[in-house]
Amino acid sequence: MPILRLLLAPFCIVVFAAAPSTAGWAKDTGLVFVSNEKTNNLIVIDPKTYKVVKDLKTSRRPRDMHFSADHTKLYVACGDDDVIDIIDVAKLEVVGKLSTGSSPETFGIDESRRRIYVSNEEGSSLSVIDMDQNIIVQEVPTGAEPEGVFVSEDGHFVYVTSEVGDLVHLIDADAGNVVQDVVVGTRPRRFAATPDGKELWVSAELSGEVYIIDREKFTVEGKIEFLPPGMRKTDVTPVDLRITRDGKTAYVTLGHAAHVAVVDVPSRKIQGYILVGKRSWGLGMSRDEKTLYVANGFGDDVTVIDLKTRKATVSIPVGRIPWGVVIDD
Amino acid sequence: MCRAGKAKRAHLHPLQVGAVQVGTALRAFAHPTLLAFLILVAPALAQTAPSSPPPPRQHISIGYVEIEGDPRYEPVRAYERLILKTRDHPFAGAQIGIDEAAPLVRVLNAEFALERITVKSPAEVAPAVTQALETRGIRFFLIDAPAAAFKPLAAAARGRDVLLFNVSAEDDALRRDLCAREFVHVIPSLAMRMDALMQYLASRKWRDILVFEGPLPADAETVRAFTRSAQKFGARIVADQHFKAGTDPREREQNNPALLSAIRGNYDVVFVADDAFDFARQVPYHTVLPRPVVGSIDLEPVAWHWTWEHNGAPQVNSRFGKKSGGRRMESADWAAWVAVKMVVQATLRTRSADFAKQREFILGDAGFDGDKGLPISVRPWDHQVRQAVLLAAPYMVVASAPLEGFLHRTNELDTLGDDEPETACHMNR
Repeated sequence: MPILRLLLAPFCIVVFAAAPSTAGWAKDTGLVFVSNEKTNNLIVIDPKTYKVVKDLKTSRRPRDMHFSADHTKLYVACGDDDVIDIIDVAKLEVVGKLSTGSSPETFGIDESRRRIYVSNEEGSSLSVIDMDQNIIVQEVPTGAEPEGVFVSEDGHFVYVTSEVGDLVHLIDADAGNVVQDVVVGTRPRRFAATPDGKELWVSAELSGEVYIIDREKFTVEGKIEFLPPGMRKTDVTPVDLRITRDGKTAYVTLGHAAHVAVVDVPSRKIQGYILVGKRSWGLGMSRDEKTLYVANGFGDDVTVIDLKTRKATVSIPVGRIPWGVVIDD
Repeated sequence: MCRAGKAKRAHLHPLQVGAVQVGTALRAFAHPTLLAFLILVAPALAQTAPSSPPPPRQHISIGYVEIEGDPRYEPVRAYERLILKTRDHPFAGAQIGIDEAAPLVRVLNAEFALERITVKSPAEVAPAVTQALETRGIRFFLIDAPAAAFKPLAAAARGRDVLLFNVSAEDDALRRDLCAREFVHVIPSLAMRMDALMQYLASRKWRDILVFEGPLPADAETVRAFTRSAQKFGARIVADQHFKAGTDPREREQNNPALLSAIRGNYDVVFVADDAFDFARQVPYHTVLPRPVVGSIDLEPVAWHWTWEHNGAPQVNSRFGKKSGGRRMESADWAAWVAVKMVVQATLRTRSADFAKQREFILGDAGFDGDKGLPISVRPWDHQVRQAVLLAAPYMVVASAPLEGFLHRTNELDTLGDDEPETACHMNR
């Protein structure tokens, strides 16, 4: 792979030299960003050619990534430097940093209040960051190893998982404290909300399930168990999940089972499994919902899935231990 | 979005179907006159009597029994002032388990505490447990004691409502012969550790093994277990050399690793059984043939290692380091941490502080998160916790057993140690 990167290096230069209008790449570049925990970089991929267009150095251990609403900035949580790097999407370079608590892992942005909510894996807390002043305005204690963060659509509530506590916390964003907890499966990781705002889906990595929380009642009202053919239940370690805009289909990475599960959301029935790479974690979906990108943590690559045929079409080598994927579209 | 108007309401019952309204719960905890019953049966009650006073907080004590001056925790020294390894009781492991349970107080209305009980000899362990059970009602104990303490303990506990978590005695006899249903052996057995090492050697096709055996009974026990593993996984012990640490030239055939390893024929690897560790550290680089050394040094099968970096391990290591003043987390620390976790999980998942339910959950087939990949659980036949075993070099976990390709009809973890058909202990029959 280093060889590949060397070969691609001149290509990158060519791309940029040949595209003086890069500053105009503010939106809809379609570029795919993959964060790599061990190589401290984002690999930026052209979705048409699957070529690497940029190896973007970040602070150490980049993990979760989110765009600003206008897609001019990309925020990247970097766990080993306790910062969120701010990347200028047009220039593809780090232009600023926000300080976080100890070992930031995932986060949510509330643009209207200019706030970032970030889970601090080592600190057992959720930091509330004022994006403009670059200060932590509040530190909300959580269960040990907080991970998934979901900000409610109106910004009043933040949902956080505690991987060790087997809990989902409901945090009052205004008061800055936990108002309710709900017990879910073992090692809860990430969230996806249904577009109607009624359900919050939570992956439970070690118990191999997705829990479905009724947001109105804040209770567990169902769960989905996965078992790709030929696998044992203990192989199934779900982590990331996405629900399509029409609220009909969900995609769930199954970690060590090396598959992505396709779920019919209304019936909660599993429609199939798509083979991907080892320890599949992070998911990224193109805006047209035709393509799914899966970060394979133990394969150092990204699997590209054509969602129409539900088949993996290609895998692209990236950095070491890819964590997540986002797409600028 | 949907929660916006709701959460400000204060009438949600603290135990309403698994969710807790914290404001109410906290006020309830401060109330001094509340009745002492049920934490977790409340959901039904909550619906029928929403205005009844919230139940009081339940306290669940876990005993931690250790022996003062336990020689197993003496530093390993070359000389008085040259300390090779510092060792300590795994109490800090239990403490991080308690710390992790703190946020659950809101959900469970229960809090967990450790009671550290220090006795002077293995013989005093059983009376101390009996007393804590009878006078303070403690039902869960972490037993940090050598094998000698377990026989009287089994007799004292027989048929009583206690669960005794063995966190530091690896002796196979406790599982095979003593076979007491009040025990849960959290630390891996010697047989499990040796099987793990042997799986690794077999996976590398290093099947011809030269054994260096020390003079202690523990060394003989280790070699016995290793030999059994070799038979199980198809390896061959080409020679079993008994060593005697020292520099006496008259005994050089026994104290010189080069001469000990100068045998007729080839070997792939040298296995050292040396509980005292004095000789083991002289073996690497002193063998006649350039061969890796495993067992007591260089590649050791362990329950836990500070360099394990998967399954959330870095965070556990970091919490442990903070709690212990910078010590690196070791196998017994892991076992103590897991034992506390099992009690906490049993309370959380059964929604009960009822011992019978908690015990049933712990001994049932629910998996626990041991931060070693596959979920861990208690084997019903001998109450050993099935778990991965790490093959640790000084700065790296080289592999985690079960190694890929070692298959089992129900659970790959049961390729390590005594599987049901292999043991005389059958508590489940």
